[in-house]
Amino acid sequence: MHLRTLLIVFLLSLAYGEDRQIISKLNPGCPFPKTNKTLVYIQARGSHDTIHQVWDFTRGMPTIIYLISSLNSTLDVIWDDTEPSKFVLKGQRLYSFAATIDKLHEYDDIDNNGHIDNKCPQRAISFRNAVWSRSASVLTGQEAMLHMQGHFEEHWRKGTVDIKLDLLPYTDYAVDLPHLIHTANSTLVDIGLVNLTTSRDYNASRYAIHFVMLSTDSKQENMTYTMRKSLDDEHTPGVFEIFEIKTPKSYRSDDGGFMQFRPVGYTEPERSVSSSTNAYISNFTKTSLPKSSILKVFYEDYNSLLVQEMFISFGLPGDGYYRQHNYTSWSFTIGYGAPPVESFSLFVIIIISIGLGVPVLLALSGITYVLVRRCKQRNTPTRFTDDD
Amino acid sequence: MDNPEASGSRSALIEPTSWCHPANKVHRFLALLLMCFLCFGSYFCYDTPGALADNFKDDSHLNTSQFALLYSIYSWPNVVLCFIGGYLVDRYFGVRLGTVIYMTIVFIGAVIFAFGVYINAFWVMILGRFVFGIGGESLQVVVNNYVVLWFKGKELNMVFGLQLSFSRFGSTVNFWVMESVYRWVATYYAGYERLGVTLFLASLTCFVSLICGVILGWMDYRAEKILGRQDPQSNNEPFHLTDIKHFQTVFWPLCVICVAYYLAIFPFIALGKLFFERKFDFLPQDANNVNSMVYFLSAALSPFFGILIDKTGRNVTWVIISIVTTIGAHFMLAFTFFNPYIGVITLGISYSLLASGLWPLVALIVPEHQLGTAYGICQAVQNMGLATVIILAGVIVDKYGYLMLEMFFLGCLFISLISAILIYIMDSASNGVLNMSPSMRESTKPPSRNEGSDETATLLDNEDFTDQEETDSRRPSESHDLPANPRDSAQAQSDRIRSRYLSHILTTSNSERQ
Repeated sequence: MHLRTLLIVFLLSLAYGEDRQIISKLNPGCPFPKTNKTLVYIQARGSHDTIHQVWDFTRGMPTIIYLISSLNSTLDVIWDDTEPSKFVLKGQRLYSFAATIDKLHEYDDIDNNGHIDNKCPQRAISFRNAVWSRSASVLTGQEAMLHMQGHFEEHWRKGTVDIKLDLLPYTDYAVDLPHLIHTANSTLVDIGLVNLTTSRDYNASRYAIHFVMLSTDSKQENMTYTMRKSLDDEHTPGVFEIFEIKTPKSYRSDDGGFMQFRPVGYTEPERSVSSSTNAYISNFTKTSLPKSSILKVFYEDYNSLLVQEMFISFGLPGDGYYRQHNYTSWSFTIGYGAPPVESFSLFVIIIISIGLGVPVLLALSGITYVLVRRCKQRNTPTRFTDDD
Repeated sequence: MDNPEASGSRSALIEPTSWCHPANKVHRFLALLLMCFLCFGSYFCYDTPGALADNFKDDSHLNTSQFALLYSIYSWPNVVLCFIGGYLVDRYFGVRLGTVIYMTIVFIGAVIFAFGVYINAFWVMILGRFVFGIGGESLQVVVNNYVVLWFKGKELNMVFGLQLSFSRFGSTVNFWVMESVYRWVATYYAGYERLGVTLFLASLTCFVSLICGVILGWMDYRAEKILGRQDPQSNNEPFHLTDIKHFQTVFWPLCVICVAYYLAIFPFIALGKLFFERKFDFLPQDANNVNSMVYFLSAALSPFFGILIDKTGRNVTWVIISIVTTIGAHFMLAFTFFNPYIGVITLGISYSLLASGLWPLVALIVPEHQLGTAYGICQAVQNMGLATVIILAGVIVDKYGYLMLEMFFLGCLFISLISAILIYIMDSASNGVLNMSPSMRESTKPPSRNEGSDETATLLDNEDFTDQEETDSRRPSESHDLPANPRDSAQAQSDRIRSRYLSHILTTSNSERQ
């Protein structure tokens, strides 16, 4: 009996992805609890490993670190004043990967094709000295959510960068468009570029987000990014593509890191199909870690790790550029394990089965009815047979 | 050429051999050409939003629900107008003035719509489409009157087919050229203005049609004087709501098919462009080309399917087959990434086959003096269905995506399949006339007792009527005033085999009643 229950639980957890117990803390171990710096540490305990997540804004560049380690391991943060100076893992590091947004690029899209390329005049806006404030946070056993608002140090460049990170320890579709799938192993990230001042000398300003991704794979390998088409656009109307970036380990055996997103951004706070715009992913090239990144503190062996960079840019030809709406938002999920795959909803299955079932039943019963009737008629000749 | 006018009063000042004479072949061919172009404009402009769907989204920032409303609003006036459009022409306007009036309304509607897009005011666009809808369907009615006036006799069915195919061709051409026109305009204008200008150019087709209408009016006026012809005004079957009580039960599942099946076709074409662009990564022009296949195939195939149905009979089986293949086509579009041409071509073939098989059924079920009412009802419920459901389809796309839209279409098709099977069962349970082959129909015919019988002539009308039905049904109005034609054919007694076959229907249905 016990075995059977275990088997069922095992199968269910396979089918639905395992749920994890989460413990989240803001600035754990920080000697100045009232600091306005933000570092969130989340420990997610599963059945056979523990995922440690660090969401760091202390050095300006928003950074997400995933560390997978043995069961019952802990990660301690040693602080130097209000900045973390060391991360100590008690337990065995199985795998780790991270993503950081180190800068935005403002580019002059003279060809008006939407995406950034090397021909465009462009300038980098680093997050290194950006100032971040917490506008909301939920750190409970059911959810870890952090909403940050950032401002740039240059005073003439007004506007806000909104970043919301959300970890919900179960598998479901996100509430907002593009309704990405989040799991216990992945975090949903929304980024908004709100009312940013554009450079005067650019007539066709757009913004691109610069990502640096790192994984504890060999430097010789490559991260892969794939575009997958799904039949189902129920959750992102009109968008059939899904982009996935996998670390080499994830590509080999589905137990590495991944980033998943739809190639769609939004130009209004109220996300809808009519406010959607294209999101483009650039080439994905090898690079080194940005200066003064928290990642250099977290990974002491960072010189031997695989680091790659890419741009995500937004826009459609003829859409009036960034200034048309002064707003661009975009979402992605980052997580550990196999990227979630969407499935047909119950509604689709019900319609198909009813739709196919009823006519077949009706046809069968109709044929039976007609046959029975004809058999009866054979006994009492009809007028037609008389005529013949 | 065996036309009644030729033998009629020909008090001509012009020699009948001259091409200027209205009875001359060349002259009538010229008139036919003009008749073909009469509806070209309105069919062309009906689908301009569909052909520029992505531009409406990007330039005018319409969401799919608003976009769908552009199509929906076209159908609203026609829920009522299909009953009175033809009546107004017969009673008040006359065919010449009627054509010019309706054509002017269509043109004005197209211009208002283009203006609405040009100034980017959604309510003006809606108003334009509404006005356009008022003229569009009724125009087809008057054009049918013209065809009857000029071609009653043997050529009539062929001319009806040709005229309809050519109109359908208007929609096809629209899908072929609008993208290029838009790109050309885009070199001079930007934003929603370029879309507006493109639509102004499109409305020129309506203007050309209007000119054709005026010329045809003059030709008709001249022909009437030369030939001393009389307007066959009394031919229109009036609409009596009380007739509904006398319809056979089997008429109602037929009505359901009229609505449900076409819901899986027209909204699909209206919303199709973006679907092909997004799901199959087609370029805008390629997406339009795929989308145009349905109309193109229907223009090309309808005459052949008409002959096929004529030769084989078994209308209900054909209807069921075409619904099943349509379901297959939508399945393929929804659940595979196969080249959409496969799905759409299947869709186009099935759609033409269905139109050829379905519309004659109405005439087989309903007696002639109630046909006007029957077609009126079919058209009204269909317009009502289109008017409401296209909005729904737009909302589905915005909220739940194209897969759900396909699910919705499949749902509609399942409903029409169930109705078709119901018709099959009901028909088999009674005399099975609807699904007989012509030979069966003939072999079961009773000895001759048809000649001279009023009712036989009536049924003969119906059958002849069915013959020229490749009616699609976005505009079934064309059928509304058709009884004019069958009556003439009945007088001509052109097809005796068919009249015997019809006499059979008459007797069986009579015996059923007894």
